[in-house]
Amino acid sequence: MDKNNKIPFQEDNYTHNIERNGERTLDRRGFMKTLVGAAGLFAVSSLPWGAVAAKELMGLSDKGYPKKKIADVSKVAIGDSVNFSFPGEHDSALLIRLSENKYVAYQNACTHLRCPVFWVKEKGEMICPCHHGKFDAQTGEPTVGPPRRPLPEIKVKVENGTIYAVGVKRYEA
Amino acid sequence: MKRSYLSVAVLCVILMMNIVFTQLIVHQYFFEHYVTVLIYCGFNILLFPIALLVYQQDRKRKGVHHDEQ
Repeated sequence: MDKNNKIPFQEDNYTHNIERNGERTLDRRGFMKTLVGAAGLFAVSSLPWGAVAAKELMGLSDKGYPKKKIADVSKVAIGDSVNFSFPGEHDSALLIRLSENKYVAYQNACTHLRCPVFWVKEKGEMICPCHHGKFDAQTGEPTVGPPRRPLPEIKVKVENGTIYAVGVKRYEA
Repeated sequence: MKRSYLSVAVLCVILMMNIVFTQLIVHQYFFEHYVTVLIYCGFNILLFPIALLVYQQDRKRKGVHHDEQ
């Protein structure tokens, strides 16, 4: 009660302070509080990164499709190609047998305007007929023409003389 | 009142480490080193209780009364 008898009485707070000298400034302790708060903010903000990294590690973002038969090995000569669709009915794709044991498959919608890309055996290139875009058969990277992004690659597996499509590689572009 | 700036310096170092770890998290995520991302993320989270501890130790050493906080 005693302190209230002085006028103006000593009151150290934000809202009723009438003395300018009693105003709070950023002192040492306040600065330290800010630093601890910043550390907390950093801790919270790194949580989503950890979450998405954990998600990637657990393979939750890899989509699984049932494997699908493309063709028999005996029916595809070296240098030949086969049209098929994977994973959906309307996702047209192209399998190329590059050598005895090397098969590559790509979704063959051109990354420029989605024309169907076809395999030219004589030139050893995948060509889009619409604007003469060309793709490298080894990697699916565009080499010539308007397309800038590679063709999405399909994982291929050979079992007992039959070629299967087992999945779609994650698209990075 | 005698002031010690040791804990202020420690907290500044912790903040600097926070910044560095966060930068590393973003970079390692880009390079798809997800295990490294998790490790740095753990460091970053660990730094917060350490900072809190430093602050509380500092307050204790000063012997601040509760109405003075």
